[in-house]
Amino acid sequence: MQIFNLKFSGLLLLLLVAIFLPFLMTDYWRYVFSIAYYYTIMAASWNLLGGYTGQFSLGHHTFALIGAYTSTLMILKAGIPLWMGILSGTILTIIVSFVLGFLCLRVRGIYLALITWAFAEVVRVYIRMDYVFTGGDRGLFAPLFFGTTKPLPYYYLFLGVSVFAIILIAAIMRSRIGYYFRAIRNDEVAARAMGVNTVRWKVFAFMVASGLAGLAGAFYGHSIGLISPVLGEFNEMAMIIIFVVIGGMRTQAGPVLGAISIRYLMDLLREWSEIRIIILSAIVIIIMRFFNGGLMELFKRAKQWVQQKGIKEPVPAYPQIDQK
Amino acid sequence: MDLHLFSQFLVAGIIMGILYCLMSLGINFIYGIMKVINWSMGEFFMIGAYVQYLLIIYFIGSRYWYIGVVISAFCVFFLGALVQRILIKPMFVGIIEEKMEYATIVTISMAIFLRNLAVLIGGPYIYTPPDYASPTHIGPLPLSGNRFVALIGALILLALFYYFMKRTWIGKAFQAVAQNRSGVQTAGINVLKFDAIAFGIGTALAAAGGALLAPIFLVHPMCGLIPTIRGFEIIVIAGLGSIPGVLVASLSLGIAESLGSAFINPSFLDIYGFVLLILVLLIKPFGLFGKEERMA
Repeated sequence: MQIFNLKFSGLLLLLLVAIFLPFLMTDYWRYVFSIAYYYTIMAASWNLLGGYTGQFSLGHHTFALIGAYTSTLMILKAGIPLWMGILSGTILTIIVSFVLGFLCLRVRGIYLALITWAFAEVVRVYIRMDYVFTGGDRGLFAPLFFGTTKPLPYYYLFLGVSVFAIILIAAIMRSRIGYYFRAIRNDEVAARAMGVNTVRWKVFAFMVASGLAGLAGAFYGHSIGLISPVLGEFNEMAMIIIFVVIGGMRTQAGPVLGAISIRYLMDLLREWSEIRIIILSAIVIIIMRFFNGGLMELFKRAKQWVQQKGIKEPVPAYPQIDQK
Repeated sequence: MDLHLFSQFLVAGIIMGILYCLMSLGINFIYGIMKVINWSMGEFFMIGAYVQYLLIIYFIGSRYWYIGVVISAFCVFFLGALVQRILIKPMFVGIIEEKMEYATIVTISMAIFLRNLAVLIGGPYIYTPPDYASPTHIGPLPLSGNRFVALIGALILLALFYYFMKRTWIGKAFQAVAQNRSGVQTAGINVLKFDAIAFGIGTALAAAGGALLAPIFLVHPMCGLIPTIRGFEIIVIAGLGSIPGVLVASLSLGIAESLGSAFINPSFLDIYGFVLLILVLLIKPFGLFGKEERMA
C-alpha cells in the first residue's frame, strides 16, 4: 500500500482533521460529533448488510438496543467489569443474529424485512413490559465508561470505534468475501450457480453487521449513562436508512458522509424538529426516485463532468420495456 | 373456566379481529397486485381519521358520520392513486432497477413524511371525535356503541369488497392481474392503470378503517402505529397476497389477543400477536395461505 497514494493520504488528512477538531469546538459540539460517529457505525454496518449484500434488515437498531441492555444488565446484576460487559453485549448480539439469520435468511428478501421488523417490535415491547428486570420505560442507569460526563474522551472513543468499524468493513469488502456479497446482491440465483454458498455468506454478513451494531450500542449505553426502549423505536431505523440513502448506498464513504453531515444538519435545525424530518424524508424520496446514488453519486458525476467536460451517457441498445 | 365469560371474550375478540381486518386487507390486496409492501398504510389510516374528524367538526355534524366515512375513503382513493402514479409506477416501466429496495425505502420515507406532516399541520394533540352511537348489548355482552357501529361498517365494507372482487368484471380483472401479470396484458388489460386503481382501493380501505375507528383509537399523529403493527402481523400470518387468509388471520389474532389478555395478563397485549406470528411461521413458513415460493 503506497503511502503517497492520493486516496490514502486524503483519508489520513481527514483522520488528522477529526483528531484535532475537538480543540476547536465547545463541549456541546463534541457531544454532537460523538453521537454522529455512533450513527456512522450504525449506517456503515447497515450498508454492509443492505447496500452491499442486498439484505434489507429493519431491525438494525434493535441489535444496538440488545447490546446496550445486555452490557448494562450484566454489569448491574452480575458485577463484571466494564470491558467484559461490552464484550458480552457484542457476543450476545452475534449469537442472536446468528439464530435470527439462520431462521429467516432462507426465505425471500421481503420476508426478511417483515421478520426483522417484527423482531424489533417484540424486543422493544418486551423491554417495556418486563420492567422489573429491565427497568422498562424508566430506563436503566448504565455505568459511565470514563467516569466523567465531559464529552471529550467519548469523542475519541467513538472516533476510534468508528475507524475500526470502517476499516473492518473496507477489509471485508476488498477481500473475496466482498465479491461474494456483491454477487449475492446482484443475482442470487446466479451466485448460487457459481458456487457461492449464499446462505452461509448472508448469515455471515448479518452477524458482522449486527455485531458491529451491538458493539456500538454497548459503547453508546456507557457513554450516555441512561438507556431506555426509546433507542429501539422505528424512528432510529428510519434515521439510519435516511443517512445511508442520502450519503450513497453502495459506497464505502457514503454512509460515513451521510451520517456525519446529516447529523450535523439535524442538530443545526434542532428547533424545527418536525420540519427537518419532513425535509429529510422528502429528500430521500427524491433521491430514490431520480438520483439513486446519493451524495457520492453527486461527487462522482461532478468529477466526471470536470474530467470529460460533459457527461457522456451510454446509449441503450434497445428501448426499455416493462419488465416482470 | 366459565363458559359464559369465555364466550364473551371470544365475541369481543371476533369483533376486534374484524376491525383489524380492514387495515390488512388493503396491504395484502396491494401486495397481490404489485408485489410491493406498502409500509405507509398506517399513515393512510391516520389520514382517513383526520379527514373524518375535520368533516364531522366543520361540515357535516355528528349525526351523519357515515357520509364522512364515504367521503374520506373517496378522497384518499384519489390521493393513493396519485401517490402510486408518482412514486411506485417508475418501478414498473423500467426506470428503477432494484425494485424491492426502492419500494421499501420510498414507502418507509413516505410513512415518516406523512406522520411528521400531521404533527406539523395538526399539532401534537389528540383529538376526540364525538361518539357514533350509544352503548348497546350483543346478547349479555355490553358493547361500546362505537365498536358495534364500526363492526357493522366493517362487515358492510367487507361484503362490498367481496362482491366487487367476485362478481364484477373489474374484480375479476384484479384477480387475473394478481395471478399472472404479463399474461393478463395479452388479454388487453392496461396493467399500469390497474396498479393505480388497486393502490387507490387499498388506501381507501385503510382510510375507511381509520374513519370508522376514529372514536375508538382517537385522532392523533401516531394513531397509525397500532394498525400498522396489527396489519403486518396479520399479513405475515395470512401469507402475502392472499385475501381469504387475511380474514382468517385477523380473526385468530383478535381472538388470541382477547383470550390472552383475559386469561393470562392484560399488560402483555402486544406480545400475543407476535407469539401467534412465530408459532404460525414455525409451522408454515410462508403463512397460512401463502404461496410456496421457490427459494432463490
